Amino acid sequence: MNEENPKKSVKGKIVLWALVLLGVYFAFLPNRFATSSILDFAKGEPAPPTDSFDLEGFSRIPVLRGGRVKPIDSVARNALLVLRNKRTALDEAGNKIPAINWFAEVLFNPEVGDKLKTFLIDHDQVLGLLGKKLSVDGKFFSYQDLEPHLSEIDASAREAGKVEQEKRDSFDQNIIELYRSALLYRKIKATLSPPDPQLSPEMAEQLQVADVLFDPEKDKDLTAEYVRFRELTKELSSRPEDIRMGSADFAKVVFFLDHYSRMNIWSEFFAIPPEKSDPKKQWRSIGESLVGKEPLDSKEKQKMDPSRFASTLQELVSMEPDALAARLLQIRENQKMDPTVLFASQYAEAIKLRREVDPVLGLYEKLKASYQDQDYSTFNQTVAELRMVGTERAGDDASTLEFEKIYNGFEPFYRSSIAYVLIFLIAGVSWLAATYSTTLGRKGETARLLRNAAYILTAIVLLSHTFGLAGRMYIEGRPPVTNLYSSALFIGWGAVLLCFFTEKYLRLGVASAMGSLVGFGSLVIAHNLSLDSSLNPTGDTMEMMRAVLDSNFWLATHVVIITIGYSTTFLAGFLGIAYVCHKLVLSLFGGTTKYGPKLMGTEKDAQRILGAMIYGITCFSLFFSLVGTVLGGIWADQSWGRFWGWDAKENGALLIVIWNAILLHARWSGTAKIRGISAIAIFGNVVTAWSWFGTNMLGVGLHSYGFMDKAFNPLMYFILSQLIFIGIAYLPSFKSKPTIKASA
Amino acid sequence: MSKDTKSKKRKKGSLGERRKKFAWLVPLASINLTLTLLSLSMILVFVATLEQVRIGIRGALAEYFESMFGIWYYPEQFWGGEFLNAIPIPIPGGYLLGGLLIINLTAAYITRFQWTGKKMGIQLIHLGIIMLLVGQLATQAMQEESRMQINKGESSNYIERFHGVELAFSDVTDPETQRVVTIPQEIIEEGGTIRTADLPFKIQVKHFGVNCDFTVSPEGSTPAGLVKDVNRGVGQTANLSISEKEEDFSSEGLNFGYLIFELFDGTNSLGTWLTLAHPGGNHWWKESPKLSDLAFQPIRHEGKLWGVTLRSEREYLPYSIELLDVENEFYQGTEIPFNFESDIVLNLEGNQSRRALVYMNTPLRHGGKTFYQYQMNAAANYTVFQVIRNPSWLVPYIACVLVSIGLLWQFSFHLIRFLRKNSNSAQAA
Repeated sequence: MNEENPKKSVKGKIVLWALVLLGVYFAFLPNRFATSSILDFAKGEPAPPTDSFDLEGFSRIPVLRGGRVKPIDSVARNALLVLRNKRTALDEAGNKIPAINWFAEVLFNPEVGDKLKTFLIDHDQVLGLLGKKLSVDGKFFSYQDLEPHLSEIDASAREAGKVEQEKRDSFDQNIIELYRSALLYRKIKATLSPPDPQLSPEMAEQLQVADVLFDPEKDKDLTAEYVRFRELTKELSSRPEDIRMGSADFAKVVFFLDHYSRMNIWSEFFAIPPEKSDPKKQWRSIGESLVGKEPLDSKEKQKMDPSRFASTLQELVSMEPDALAARLLQIRENQKMDPTVLFASQYAEAIKLRREVDPVLGLYEKLKASYQDQDYSTFNQTVAELRMVGTERAGDDASTLEFEKIYNGFEPFYRSSIAYVLIFLIAGVSWLAATYSTTLGRKGETARLLRNAAYILTAIVLLSHTFGLAGRMYIEGRPPVTNLYSSALFIGWGAVLLCFFTEKYLRLGVASAMGSLVGFGSLVIAHNLSLDSSLNPTGDTMEMMRAVLDSNFWLATHVVIITIGYSTTFLAGFLGIAYVCHKLVLSLFGGTTKYGPKLMGTEKDAQRILGAMIYGITCFSLFFSLVGTVLGGIWADQSWGRFWGWDAKENGALLIVIWNAILLHARWSGTAKIRGISAIAIFGNVVTAWSWFGTNMLGVGLHSYGFMDKAFNPLMYFILSQLIFIGIAYLPSFKSKPTIKASA
Repeated sequence: MSKDTKSKKRKKGSLGERRKKFAWLVPLASINLTLTLLSLSMILVFVATLEQVRIGIRGALAEYFESMFGIWYYPEQFWGGEFLNAIPIPIPGGYLLGGLLIINLTAAYITRFQWTGKKMGIQLIHLGIIMLLVGQLATQAMQEESRMQINKGESSNYIERFHGVELAFSDVTDPETQRVVTIPQEIIEEGGTIRTADLPFKIQVKHFGVNCDFTVSPEGSTPAGLVKDVNRGVGQTANLSISEKEEDFSSEGLNFGYLIFELFDGTNSLGTWLTLAHPGGNHWWKESPKLSDLAFQPIRHEGKLWGVTLRSEREYLPYSIELLDVENEFYQGTEIPFNFESDIVLNLEGNQSRRALVYMNTPLRHGGKTFYQYQMNAAANYTVFQVIRNPSWLVPYIACVLVSIGLLWQFSFHLIRFLRKNSNSAQAA
């Protein structure tokens, strides 16, 4: 390719390769932006250490949260994302602590965990409530900082909760968020370490539960209490006649049943894997494992009739186990409105059918004790046992666990966004170089080289972006777009892919630059979406699909195609902005500098090419948005019996179709020239942003699964910025005549 | 080369002929008209979407899409709303724009499009678009949406409209044969006195409204306001008081229609009744057990027992649906539903029956109607289907096929040209 100039090309090749390597470094290799690299996928898990805790192994223990089986690592990271908007915590000195280390401290060693800075509070009034100042105390706080103020937080949040959602001010929103954060933290803490029953000695005496209750002096761990409780229920089930008001043993059992049931509320994730024989693969919290799940909200217990409860329970416990199981099913099916019978059914199951303490409970207790004692070998061995039991009992649901753990640390989208910045810089420098050599009347060798670098880098980042999407698809078992967050990832991906092909044929650096801009922008939007607690309450962006969307076929066709339509419309709009910026630079410098006329010479070319690109890409946009919208109609007809229902999101898609049609028809008819086309394309950004985000803010219609109000202001600013660009396009100095004169 | 120009001439000739023949259509085929209409439809769709927040999807349909013109007021809560809210802004409606677009496209089809192989893709696409528009207009005019609510273990053979009530008198003197006389909302709305040969009495409409707020006043208080004349039935015994309310079009909105009427036998008054319609099909037990009598207020007249009720307008079906079971499952530990399911039996005429499961993305289709899972309450054991009858359902499918072929045609044309050009330039290089 550089036959005339072999010497220069050697130097050039070195620069090219250096840039490419830099891209590979950002996108795939170990670096300071991510905790794992592409190599870790190949290497697999390191051998457990002997002189420290095997947190690598610990992070791979399967648990269930948000309806999905995932490694503990994901739970830790997602929780921190909600609490601190980061994937790390801070210690008292301000050093970063990896999520899994933080999680282990919170779960097993709360005295230390409570001192770690876990909460993000940056609202001055909320800080004032805690007696803190942003300038003095910073914005990250530990649970210990919050603890003295919990009741105030609680009261303020309750007050704010009374205000209608639309009318809440920033304090209301922030205090509610803090309340939720504190609750989440307390639930995590209590998940594996059930809270104390808080019994006064007199009460314990009266209820005679002291001989069953955990005794820190004598017992190794809580399992001793569980075993004694089981003995008690076994005994009671052999003497059903003792199930009556006033019987001491019955009172004891009821006390523990209530206590363990309460633990269910204080459980953030399900740690006990399903029993092997369970066809429904029901995961359990510690409380559920001991006494089953409460059939109704525990408040309903007040509506029970105590004597009928005792008699029903007695009758149930007297039955044979098989008959009882059948009867319980029947009760849950037919007596949904009767709290007395429903609670009796839970108690009967706990007393009669649950006979053994699940060994996993013991393993977690052992894990906790060995962590506190710094007993590395026991801890590491228990981790291995828990993983074995967990993955075995979870079955297929745990098959992506290992991958997910490494994927979490790989942070493909963070890596990609950094590399996009690099591409944009290289493309930008390539224009400067091109301008420089044009003004000197030289051939743009450097510029050409940089464009090639940007092009190759785009290919590399596309790989890591694609890997990120594919990884999510593998973990979720779903097509790429399942929620607002993943639509942002996909829009960026689609735009970059299209730019890559455009750049293949038109090596000008324009497509690379605009592609990397859209790619970077969409990843930033995605990141902010993942932080939005109203959209993403568990912090997990791989949430479960609502029933109405639960159709992989339609997700893979309609949703993917319509999202490509969004992405290409955005791309056309950004090319419109590129046109406006180009013109702006020319009109600012073209007339004044001595190189002006030469610069102006490039104008016509640039206009022609940008115009052609906008046109070509809009053809794609119209194609994808039309096909996607029509497919959506067919989905609607298939599932609801109507093709079109004027639903908000449907209308949004229709607006994009119409707008793209307007652009193309305006061009075909000659009504709009390059300036008009660019302005229409830029307004296309507004239309697309509206139908992507705006329609969700309305909170109406069948598609309003991603309601959000925080995005309102950013959306308005975005629309305003686009209108400004359109305004610039119509500045008087932009009229094409004077510039043509100047260049002539 | 010469072949090319020849064919071009011929094409031009045919187009020219058509243009001459349909000269009056030429201005209607203008592409600037197309652009104007498309821009106006942007405004229509945008405004109608915004308005869904205020008046719900059905309200927006009636005001904007199923009309020639809609009047829009700038929302008060937006920037500058206090001032701009007062100005009525006319918005061209769906029927107007849709109709004009169809005319514009058809005219363009005749006077502007070249009917050649090269342009066939474009023609097919636009033909498909015309069909989509026509189909949607037809759907808007013919589609009917209703609901069907069934309790577990029971069966239902009628569907109810979402909006619109009817006053039903049923003669239950003979328990074997029940005779029902219904008076639709349109007649009630006209007011005055309603006479029909099927009823032995006249009905004088005193107050009617499509929605109201109602409260059960404490016993012993004297009725006031709208209900002060009511002297018979539940209106009197339950001490109901009523205040008028605008119709709620939102999807979750509940409309309690009410009617206060006096019955006359000749000039002899039989009393004044109040009747309330329950949007959920007479499930009054949720509000108050006292109100459950509203489903059937007895009237004894000339030795016959009549029951009167105001209910959602019904359509009886020649088949019935029996609900065996409902299931509502959530992902474990979340409030995200992953399944709503109704287990039903469809009882057809002639003792035939078939079992079916209705769940998300899988509706029941029978007799030109689609029943899809709309709401359900697993705790209270009932399910609600939305029932849609859309006779023009096939049109969009045909349109889609046309558009797809057109798009493929056009794209392959461009692609082949592009590749040819590229391979040529590669050879040149």
